[in-house]
Amino acid sequence: VDNLLPTSIRVLERGWLSSNNVVLHDDAGTGTVVDTGYVTHGAQTVALVRHALEGRRLTRLVNTHCHSDHIGGNAALARAFGCTIAIPVGEARNIAEWDTEALHLDGFGQHCERFAFDSTIAAGDTLTMGGLEWQALAAPGHDMDSLVLYAPEPRVLISADALWENGFGVLFPELYGEPGLAATRATLDRIAALDVATVIPGHGPVFSEVGAALERAYGRLDAFTRDPERVTRNAFRALLVFYLLDRQLARLDELAALLEQASFFAMLNARSYRLEPGVLAQKLVAELAEAGVLQVEADIVRPAH
Amino acid sequence: MDDATGLCRGCSRTLDEIARWSVMQDSEKQQVLALLAQRKKIKMGSDPCG
Repeated sequence: VDNLLPTSIRVLERGWLSSNNVVLHDDAGTGTVVDTGYVTHGAQTVALVRHALEGRRLTRLVNTHCHSDHIGGNAALARAFGCTIAIPVGEARNIAEWDTEALHLDGFGQHCERFAFDSTIAAGDTLTMGGLEWQALAAPGHDMDSLVLYAPEPRVLISADALWENGFGVLFPELYGEPGLAATRATLDRIAALDVATVIPGHGPVFSEVGAALERAYGRLDAFTRDPERVTRNAFRALLVFYLLDRQLARLDELAALLEQASFFAMLNARSYRLEPGVLAQKLVAELAEAGVLQVEADIVRPAH
Repeated sequence: MDDATGLCRGCSRTLDEIARWSVMQDSEKQQVLALLAQRKKIKMGSDPCG
């Protein structure tokens, strides 16, 4: 992927627990970061961002959306650099009040360090980052308030979790009965109408085969639309793996307790699987072990490496 | 990151290797991956770096 991106952009490719971080060199002395990873990686995020700034001061932090894997390093970065924080306008209430239910934290057993924001960004706003002009575009579906950032001149899209090389993020709104599938289709249509040479996704490597990625995303969306229960099943698997990436390991009975006590897991089980939590934990872990995502030894479950 | 070794506790890469990962050619990634098995023998707890 050499030479795909303007030299003012550095992509810190993280993993699944932490989102990618995009560091932009605004001028000789200052820089901006877009999205900050998960809270447990905060110290590493500060070190990586400092490295990528190449001597600049971080003056601004921008979030595409306010999920724990994208805002977890906000507090640590603000402490380390004194940067300002800008979030999508639709997230302002949840962040200001630190509504851990609405932020999907408690409900899935996730954590985050509280932070304060300085300004909001709305769809249609323009930002100058890395010496380039970026448009904030609405990208509902994975999150109804999510924004993606598009720079027409180098034809670069920071796509957050609206489009990955292979799919897109869990469709949370659909889980809560909001029209997430329709929103996702509109968002993919909006991205397809842009002239994009390079995508910096929220997770996974930078890619340039945008048409092929869109085709895979539409395929996945079509499968979800044919069988909406798949949205829930996909969410359970993704969020259980996320929990294990956070904790590193858990006993089966701890996973059963999570599925019973974390409010969103409990609500979704009652609606979809309708299984006793211990049975559901066993079933999900067996499926994920079969897929090579988790490994199980005795009753200890951990992410496969 | 592990203070003593300077390596990520999860993946055993250096800060610079993680930072440059997104622009490494596949051949360079393979070279780094080949080093990791060796490094992992030396150390430490597991903390998947996400």
